Amino acid sequence: MTTVAIDIRGVSKVYNPGSNQAVQALDTVSLTINDNEFFTLLGPSGCGKTTLLRLIAGFEQVTGGEIMLFDEEIENLEPSQRPVNTVFQHYALFPHMTVAQNVAFGLERLKKPQAEIDATVERVLSLVKMKELGDRRPNQLSGGQQQRVALARALAPSPKVLLLDEPLSALDLKLRQNMREELKQLQRETGITFVFVTHDQEEALAMSDRIAVMSNGEVQQIGAPTDIYEHPVNRFVADFIGDTNFLDGEITSVNDDLVTCRVGSESLFEAANSGNHSVGDQVTLFLRPEKITLSAAGDASRQGRVANIVYLGNQAAYTVDMGDGIELTAQARPREDGNLPFATNDTISVDYSARALRVLAK
Amino acid sequence: MSDHMNETKNIMKKKKILPVGHFRGLGAWTFAFFIYLYVPIVVLVFYSFNSNRMVMNWEGFGISWYLKAFSNNNIQQAVLNSLIVATVATACATAIATIGALVLARGGSFKGKTLSLGLITLPLMVPEIVTAVAVLIFFSSIGMNLGLGNVIIAHITFCIPFAFMPIRARLEGMDTTLEQAARDLYATEWETFRFVTVPLLMPGIVAGAMLAFVISLDDFIITLMVGGAGSTTLPVYIYSMIRRGLTPEVNAISTVLLFFSIAIVTAYWIVSKKSQTKTVH
Repeated sequence: MTTVAIDIRGVSKVYNPGSNQAVQALDTVSLTINDNEFFTLLGPSGCGKTTLLRLIAGFEQVTGGEIMLFDEEIENLEPSQRPVNTVFQHYALFPHMTVAQNVAFGLERLKKPQAEIDATVERVLSLVKMKELGDRRPNQLSGGQQQRVALARALAPSPKVLLLDEPLSALDLKLRQNMREELKQLQRETGITFVFVTHDQEEALAMSDRIAVMSNGEVQQIGAPTDIYEHPVNRFVADFIGDTNFLDGEITSVNDDLVTCRVGSESLFEAANSGNHSVGDQVTLFLRPEKITLSAAGDASRQGRVANIVYLGNQAAYTVDMGDGIELTAQARPREDGNLPFATNDTISVDYSARALRVLAK
Repeated sequence: MSDHMNETKNIMKKKKILPVGHFRGLGAWTFAFFIYLYVPIVVLVFYSFNSNRMVMNWEGFGISWYLKAFSNNNIQQAVLNSLIVATVATACATAIATIGALVLARGGSFKGKTLSLGLITLPLMVPEIVTAVAVLIFFSSIGMNLGLGNVIIAHITFCIPFAFMPIRARLEGMDTTLEQAARDLYATEWETFRFVTVPLLMPGIVAGAMLAFVISLDDFIITLMVGGAGSTTLPVYIYSMIRRGLTPEVNAISTVLLFFSIAIVTAYWIVSKKSQTKTVH
């Protein structure tokens, strides 16, 4: 049985309550984070993900609700009394201390014996591959190195939960991709529960055991990366994670595993029946671009005209005009000689399985 | 208001820089201005090395007036008074200014915050003679006569805003997430203050203290009004020497005071420069 590390019970947060600038940052959010889990809070800026993290850390006070950490109520404790540590977005390393002093800070406050402090500092610094730079000052380190020190400092007191507030956002792309793997590995090695805040869906999909997608102070969906990507519960989630084609229409017939839907004035699309649909429902269909196969015009049921091409190197994104006011975006790889398979205004075949088309409730 | 000022600054930045080189004779004017500013001081320093007893009759180079000034008991006493007043006033003013800056920068919002800020910095704009008369009347009306103590209390009052400004500037520029990080790493509020806030604030505190020290050391009007017999400070004593007749001794002791002030201001400049580069991420 899995142990629950953090249990968020109906937590609300209102900034400046009672004034005309009151902002509802979180609206009765409930979720559970399991022990030893890499859990990501994902959403656009202003969705409340950072607020939730700061409530867990204790930098903000809840307006309502409870936060349980391993069955202990913590929402009224000072940050210094909560056995969680934070990796800050801009690292927040103490500039007047060396790397080793930064890492030792939490252990010293916990009044650990000096021998244990020295051993732990050395252990966590080698864990993040910074053992040689213990005598440096933070301003003598690169962004990536500061990131590692911030991680080491937060891991040194062996917190029950590690909170990470967009820690990779200040790094450049290559470094960010490397750090993703390292973070994931670090989480597995230490066995500490990670709560990771990001607005980068790719980052979330790559690292997380589970993701909570947030918007407007509410949790939209919680699930494994594949769940979130393949089975989004609403249009917001489908739109925020990855690229998607949306088709708005009305259900015209329903059978056991397929529904037929009229889009535009006369185009009929078959989609997987996810249950609870009846004729006349207004629905949104969604179809991921990579589920569509483009080929030279043949006998396929659907054909369209290439309206636009965006070249991305390893592939190209094609916008195909299907007529009746419908456009689909799909992908195609360049051919072996490097040229793209289709040109603008070419008429091409557009194939996909009806099961790849899914119905989102409107 | 500060937003507005930033905006104006940005607009000014976008404008083409005024090509000063195009104005004829500007260099000469600038030169003349610097002569106007500094020649009197250079002359004062120059004649302090005159060995003649008449100030303006150059006889030859000598440091006899310095030796005479240093062996003058009255001057020694005045220097001692000045240093006592400046040291005690600086220590008290800096402590009060630090507490004030902490409350105003970190105390969250409270009623009368803007007013408090205005009241702390207002003495910078109040004419010194007004403060001097007010303090004098205050002391005599409550019948307080602590000698040098009165002078120290008066100095603390006008040193506070000078100490306050650099400390507040430093605090405002400080990243509050550093204090959050300390709290997150199990530091109590006191430990956070002791191990994070104070060390990071130190350049501001040192700068504020130096500024207060120089201001206190140079003060004349308030000290003259408040200080009774026996609490003469160096500037007041120099003034009384001039009234008795100008000798190069005055030049010598003024020169010493000048270089002492320059040394402290230079140290202040270096400290604040260092703290600026430190805050850059």
